[in-house]
Order: sequence, then C-alpha cells, then structure tokens
Amino acid sequence: MDQPSSFENELAGLLPRLRRFAHALSRNATDADDLTQATIERALRSRAQWQAGTRLDSWCYRIMRNLWIDTARANARKSAREAPEDEGLNVGEDPRDAIEASVDLKRVMMAMERLPDEQREVVALILVEGFGYREVSEMLGLPIGTVSSRLVRGRTALLALVGER
Amino acid sequence: MMNDEKFFAWLDGELSSAEAAEMEAKVAADPELAGLAEQHRALGARLTGAFDPIAEAPVPARLQAALRPSADVIDLATAKRKRMTPSLPQWAALAATLAVGVSIGTLVPKNTNAPVEVQGGAIYAAASLNRGLDTQLASAPSGDMRIGITFRDQAGEVCRSFTQQASSGLACRSGGRWKLKGLFAAPEGQGSDYRMAAGMDPNLAALVGLTMNGEPFDAAQEKAAKEKGWK
Repeated sequence: MDQPSSFENELAGLLPRLRRFAHALSRNATDADDLTQATIERALRSRAQWQAGTRLDSWCYRIMRNLWIDTARANARKSAREAPEDEGLNVGEDPRDAIEASVDLKRVMMAMERLPDEQREVVALILVEGFGYREVSEMLGLPIGTVSSRLVRGRTALLALVGER
Repeated sequence: MMNDEKFFAWLDGELSSAEAAEMEAKVAADPELAGLAEQHRALGARLTGAFDPIAEAPVPARLQAALRPSADVIDLATAKRKRMTPSLPQWAALAATLAVGVSIGTLVPKNTNAPVEVQGGAIYAAASLNRGLDTQLASAPSGDMRIGITFRDQAGEVCRSFTQQASSGLACRSGGRWKLKGLFAAPEGQGSDYRMAAGMDPNLAALVGLTMNGEPFDAAQEKAAKEKGWK
C-alpha cells in the first residue's frame, strides 16, 4: 500500500469517460459496464506496462477498445434490437421540449449503433471523447489518413441517418 | 466537394493556421460549404448531448468496487452475480446474522476480549478490533489484523475495511465508536490464509462500493485522519 493510490485515483477519475466510450462501443448499457469493468481489471493487472509520464487515458482507451474487439468477435454480431425503453416518463410540466430532446438523443444513439465498428470507434474517440487525429492514430495503430477517412465516412453516414434538426 | 478530409480537418481544428485560414476563406465564400459546416457542428453537439450524460451520471458501485486496491480478484462472473444481490438494508441484516452467527460464535474465542459487542441492535468493534481500527495504518499491518482501505461514507463519517483471521468487514464511525456495517466470513476451507491468498471478499467489496463517497484515503490522508481521532 505504499504507492498504489495515484494510479488508482487517476483511473478512478477516468471512469466516467471510459463508461461513456464503452457506451459508444457497446450496444447496451449492461455490456458497456461489463466492458468498463473488464477494462479496469485489465488496467490494474497490466499497470506495470503503463509508462509513467505517458497519458493514462489513451492507454486505458486502447485497452478498452481491444477488449471490445475481442468480445465483439466472440459475440459475432448478436445485435441488440431490443425495444427502446419508454423515455417519455421522466418529463416535466410541458413535456414537449423534453420529449423532443430525448427522442433526438435516442435517434443519435441509434444512428451510432448502425455505423460500422471501425467508423463508430473513430467517431466516438474524436467527436465524443475529444481526442485529436494523431492521438487516435497512435491509439488504434492506424495511419492518420485512415483515421481521417473513416471519420469522414462515419460522420457523413451519421448525418444522413439522423437528418437535419 | 473537392477535399472532404481537409474540410473536416479544418472543422476539427486539425489544420495548421495557414491551411486553416485558407479553408476558412473558402468556406466563407461558399454557402453550400458553410451550410455543411453548420450541419456537422450541430451533429457534433448532438453527439456530445447524447453521450455526455453518461459521463455525468454517478459511476455504478460495482465499477468503483472493481477499482479498489486488492479488489481486482473479482471477475466478471462475480460481478454479474453481484448485480442480483440484495440492496443495502438487506446487506446489513445479512451481515449482522453473519457477525453474530458465524464470527462471534466460531471465529472468536469466547472471552471478555471478544472483538465486537452488541448494543441497541447495532454491533460495535471492541477489544483488539477496536484497537486495530483506532491505531493501525494500512501501510503498517501488525498482529493478526490488517486494514484494507479507509474512506468517508455518504454521511461524511470515516469508514475502514479490515481483515482479521478468517473474517473481513467494514466499520464506520458512529457516536465516537466503530460501528460495524458488515462482517463476512471467508468461504469454507480458506481459513486464516484467506487474507493472504485472495483480495477483498467480493461481498465486502460490494458493500464498500455502496458505502464509499469519493475516493479512498491515501497513506497521508489515512495518517492525518488517525491523528484527528477519525473525525
């Protein structure tokens, strides 16, 4: 217990973001939290491989993405076409705005789910998680041009799927 | 459109300032491009609007528990089982049963040095357990007792997890004493080596996850809290 806290504390600080990324990769909340948990466990076990001074977040995102690819392969596309939960329940007095907002958010989420995996991860990392092209290229081990072209295709498809507001 | 990738790189702030200025001018002069930029900016906002609430939501207890030092032995299967386990009040009752039925009955010698005492339906640390909770630091275990982690609960009270012989538990400050929130016996056959062989008991890890507010103390915070009498 001499020096464990900073690594674990940093990891704890990353949890909310890692969960968000897990939700973008996985297609339902339970899978997303399972993926997050597996990522935490892998990160703790592999902590010796993390080089102090490098970014812990990129390292964890990479772990998560690789775990996700492993399980996605294993699950062989069991797609989650479950009926969407009723989202109109938690609205205030004038529900129209809230309903409209939540329907739009749901539409965005569902559109993300329909993107091919390799486009979805790039869209999530850059447009949701806020990483730069170069960081993502290093994280995924892809040439920057590949990242850039997948991003163009992903966001163009996304816009076509969700339409203009 | 002539160069999709450059346009989007501009939109994402990835171009050098010279290139960006060039693209800026091009977009300004082209209503179609300007409209496209607008649509994609709005798309970005809708994406973050959809996903940010996930990062703003509280992190589930089982994920926090997975992160605790020595809790890393909990695998996914355990976590899945845990999802179906009862909520806190039931936990407390279960722990009380265990404490009275198992720990006091079998693990603890029947003498006046019993490490717990029952008062008004609550269980408090006594004797060696009380001393250990008062004085021990996680970094310096001594005797047969070991402190796991120290943290504050939702009410702001200091809580400490501990392992003693074949049982482990969680105690929080209450009225100047250590009140037991849970006490768990090691599974059959693991005996007193349990604390060395495995990490935190999964049930204890779950209880810790439910109880903890914020982060566990580091060594310096633990020491400071001790010096202040665990206030």
